[in-house]
Amino acid sequence: MKQRGNAKNPKQALHVRPSSQTDLSAWQIGERKSGPKTVDLKSTQKPEKEKQQSVSEQAGNNTEDYLEQALTYFERAKDHIPLRKNEVLQKHLATVETIALQRGLSPEGLDVLLNVALSGRLADTVNSRILKCLIPASIIAESSVVSAVSWLCVGNCSCSTQLLFLRWLIAMFDFIDHKEKLHALYGFFFCSLQDEKLCPYICHLLYLLTRKENVKPFRVRRLIDLQAKMGMQPHLQALLSLYKLLCPELVSITLPAKAKSYFKNSERLWKAAINTVRRRNQATSLTSQQLILDIGHPQSRKRKWNTQLILPACTMDTNKITRSKAIIHADILSHSESFPVEELQTFSQLLKNIHRLEFPSQMGSVLRNSLLLHYMNCVKDESIYLRLYYWMGQTLQEECTWYKIDNQQYEEEFKDFLDIVYKTECFLQEGFSSCEEFLYKSLPLWDGFCCRSQILRLVSWIPLSSFSEMKPRLCEPLAQLFFTSSLYFKCSVLESLKDLLQNWLNWHVMQLDIESDPKISPLNTTLSGLVNSVAELIHFVGWISTVALRLENNVTFLLYFILDFYETVCDVYLKYNLPLLVMPPPGVFYPALLSMDSVNLNQLCYIMYRYRTNLVAAKENELIKKTILQFKFSSQTYQEYNQYIMAMVGCLWTSSAFQKDIHPQGIRLDPEVLKKTRVQEVRNSFNIVHHPALMGYAILFLQQAWPEDKTLNFSLIKGRRWNWYLEYLYTQGLQGLKLFIESSINRVSQASQTKSDNVQIKV
Amino acid sequence: MSLVRPFDKLPTLNSAALLLVGTDEKQQQQLAEAILKEKKTFKINIHVATSLPLPAERDHIRPRIDLIAFLINIQSKYSLRNVEASLPHVDANFFLGKVCFLITGVGRMNHCSVEMNAVRKLGNLYCSPVIFCELDSEGIRVATAQRLVRMLQICAGHVPGISALFFSSLMKNSIDE
Repeated sequence: MKQRGNAKNPKQALHVRPSSQTDLSAWQIGERKSGPKTVDLKSTQKPEKEKQQSVSEQAGNNTEDYLEQALTYFERAKDHIPLRKNEVLQKHLATVETIALQRGLSPEGLDVLLNVALSGRLADTVNSRILKCLIPASIIAESSVVSAVSWLCVGNCSCSTQLLFLRWLIAMFDFIDHKEKLHALYGFFFCSLQDEKLCPYICHLLYLLTRKENVKPFRVRRLIDLQAKMGMQPHLQALLSLYKLLCPELVSITLPAKAKSYFKNSERLWKAAINTVRRRNQATSLTSQQLILDIGHPQSRKRKWNTQLILPACTMDTNKITRSKAIIHADILSHSESFPVEELQTFSQLLKNIHRLEFPSQMGSVLRNSLLLHYMNCVKDESIYLRLYYWMGQTLQEECTWYKIDNQQYEEEFKDFLDIVYKTECFLQEGFSSCEEFLYKSLPLWDGFCCRSQILRLVSWIPLSSFSEMKPRLCEPLAQLFFTSSLYFKCSVLESLKDLLQNWLNWHVMQLDIESDPKISPLNTTLSGLVNSVAELIHFVGWISTVALRLENNVTFLLYFILDFYETVCDVYLKYNLPLLVMPPPGVFYPALLSMDSVNLNQLCYIMYRYRTNLVAAKENELIKKTILQFKFSSQTYQEYNQYIMAMVGCLWTSSAFQKDIHPQGIRLDPEVLKKTRVQEVRNSFNIVHHPALMGYAILFLQQAWPEDKTLNFSLIKGRRWNWYLEYLYTQGLQGLKLFIESSINRVSQASQTKSDNVQIKV
Repeated sequence: MSLVRPFDKLPTLNSAALLLVGTDEKQQQQLAEAILKEKKTFKINIHVATSLPLPAERDHIRPRIDLIAFLINIQSKYSLRNVEASLPHVDANFFLGKVCFLITGVGRMNHCSVEMNAVRKLGNLYCSPVIFCELDSEGIRVATAQRLVRMLQICAGHVPGISALFFSSLMKNSIDE
């Protein structure tokens, strides 16, 4: 095999493939040697690992022989071979097809078949059958591709074969081991643009190959001419917009901002087979996961087109041998002084080489590499984000498991992928627009079941935008699911919306820091826009919470998540410096106040304490500055707070909840009605002794204070004992209650008074 | 041959009745089985029909229907036409929150032959929620069954403070307006 390769491409000896990358093909080569072969083989020893497997692969030995025979047959075919009644050809073709689709072909096999398919020696149907089964088991040698392209110049093969070859090349682009020589053919590909049929595919290929130095004025002119001739074609636009991105000064025409899909999907023909081979290889050995991965070839700047769920790796294995080989390989290749990303292992290396780093050709590979993410974060290059978003958008859409049921068997992989995306967003502290698009597109069709936690976590990273835009696309589908799904789903949604709010607020705080630096212009959201969006989000959560509490019968667990959300809301002014305070709706406040669980009541007390602190601070700021502030809290907010605080103090402290509550949706009741209930001492039934959430503590307190008294006389808790009881409650961990009572209740006399008054913030 | 009416019979204590209308009987069967497997606090009667109107002769033994779910397969235009033809046989009072459209086959969006807009319009026209699902997948079938049980519970009046009409107003999409 090697001989064969050398004869045609002497330079092939240059590439040193890392051993772990060619496990499978190495095994194939090894097997071939055992047969009566005329060809010389490079590898002489079967790796240990394969020996263990060979038992299970015994059956495969025969097929290997057949494959070898077939390849030899095709290689030796010199003249035109007729297709009809040629049983030998049929047999060999069938062998190649079955083996290729099952386990993929070695680089050498691919080389032979590519040559024969493009040489024009066989009939067109045979050529297309061969091309359709060219599935690499590991990588594709660059030299094979180059020699295949050279066949195109000879002009022996038909137009349809050329077309199929181009599609194959696009689909397999990421399997090609290096692309330097391919880049050298840029001009050749560009010239082929004039062929109308090939043009879309050539454009796609050029789109993958283009680097900044390829953008030349004459090429731009040519493309514009073509566009004038052929009309606005999406593929030409794609290429032009890439040129414009790389060299904005050369392309002056305006292009439409966003097109949904520029190119037809070329890889559909091979995708299933690639997946089969990939999965098989994975099963064969863990290291062979790298088989399909690009070697992280540092120079090329192209978009990742292939959609494989397994992220491409840009670092080599930690395996020492592998690494050293990789370094040699990189040395051979590096013409300019850029630093190969696969060598990037430590943070100090990143710092030393930061000026000469280039991103790997497969943008997806940065997701697993925290060093590159650091780099990405600091270069702030728009085009890098574009590359990443493009790849991610494609992958998410292709692999989504609920609107493509065929993907369902790969749900675990999709989950992993979503997890990685989420982690990257957390790392960069940034929401990706491609994820946002994906969520908007897929949420209406989501059943709320597949990948639940992953999807909801992605929701928390939706970038801040105007809420009116977000509402129909996110909130409504989410609300529909929310109302019809289980309690746990409701809690998870609330939690992710809390995270979303926090992310927005954090972003705002960051923005405040940046604004002091005039060089970096803030995003085009004004403060009022931000305040509006945040307020709308809070109102939305308030609404769904109110409904959810009714649907779920005020269950404690749900209330906990709702109050957790409001713990963020109540501190927006002081903690995040945003002039906004939204009180919880009565549908949340009253269930919490009258809840059966001390945890909820304690949370509510803490929240009301924080509201008070924030409002007092805002009031003081207003008084100090004297100037008219752009934003100040409306008197309605203060009024709402006062109504709530009166209800609370009336309930817990002064035992006058049913008289003093002035909230329109509150618990005020006429004395007549109260009388009819025939409950004794109805007035104090919600004070801190009798409140259903606290009564348990009162009983324990009584038992400790008067062990001999078995009657549980709650009226004993008053006067000085009331204070003891309070101290007892504080020691039980009700810190929220403590903060609330100490801040909001003005006790007339510490000694013996139980009568006290609440402090209101007057507007 | 009569209209299906929501309020012409008395409800049965602690039970609720669901009517599934759709062309794919096997799918309905699977969905019904999934619903019956769910843990619930009340008895569920499931009636299955390929189209409306329901035959009049057994009407007296049929319980009061609390929720009608129309199944539309996005791969089959026929299923949509069938549902459209059945809708006139439903009493107008049903559309006060006791009807939903279950769009199935969402997992094969690329073989979609029913326009999504047509489906959404239908939901809007009849003021009823549209739920998307893929019944061929077991997990999604179970999730859908759970959602239907919740809706049925509300429609049958088993959730205090929430009526079918209120609930359907919650499920409404403002985009459709």
